[in-house]
Amino acid sequence: MTDNSDAAQQLRPGLWQTINERYPGSMITKESYVSLARLRKPLRESRLTFVSTGGVQPKGTLPFDTVHPVGDYTFRRVPSHLKPADLEIHQLKYPTAGAMRDLNVIFPIERLQELAAEGIIGSLAPNFFSFIGYNMNPEALERTLAEDIAEAVEADGADVALLSPA
Amino acid sequence: MSLQYLKEAVANNDTEKLIRYVRMHFGDGDEAAGRKEIDKAWTQALKLLLDVPETDREFILETLAEKNAATLAHLFFHLHFYFVRRSGEWIHDGQL
Repeated sequence: MTDNSDAAQQLRPGLWQTINERYPGSMITKESYVSLARLRKPLRESRLTFVSTGGVQPKGTLPFDTVHPVGDYTFRRVPSHLKPADLEIHQLKYPTAGAMRDLNVIFPIERLQELAAEGIIGSLAPNFFSFIGYNMNPEALERTLAEDIAEAVEADGADVALLSPA
Repeated sequence: MSLQYLKEAVANNDTEKLIRYVRMHFGDGDEAAGRKEIDKAWTQALKLLLDVPETDREFILETLAEKNAATLAHLFFHLHFYFVRRSGEWIHDGQL
């Protein structure tokens, strides 16, 4: 899990305090940590997947539930060969203006395709994964959503998962 | 606010905590903004009925009779955002 003191250096000053004031109890604190796994083979030989909280999804799939007061605990598969024009964002809780102009700033699907084409990454897993971060039930987030995505990532045979919060 | 926080509020009948959460949800974390958003949605709904246009009351009554309360509650939240969007004053740009 993220070390808050390090994370604070990357956030707008005061943002962490603002979130805690506005959404008391919503920030997850963890006493137990899962150790980061070391790469078992070089990145150029690895199959990579991407997991995002950006609410990015293929057009035509059921939109994320951005209005539910407790959140949406589902995820969407995003085939890794798709282009930004095939995708859309359903999310209210982070600034999306930049991502609307260029989806790669929040969901770098073209950059990852380029890295795979150049051989810097061995290959891309068939699917990337996306969900929305506005979830008020940390247990369901961890025990259901995260576990479901982890199983899907494993089923896709990914060696590496790049995780990105929105 | 976490789900646990809200469930404790329900158990304690602390409606102020609950409505504060609703306001913050609608205001993206800003309670005062959320209060205005609720007003905005209701005034939009009212404006649409002032000329007494024909409405589909059969649909409304069937929906109320046939759908469960949780689905209707979910619809209630959808309707809030629907009317806010219709107002043309959309504040949900993700800026905290």
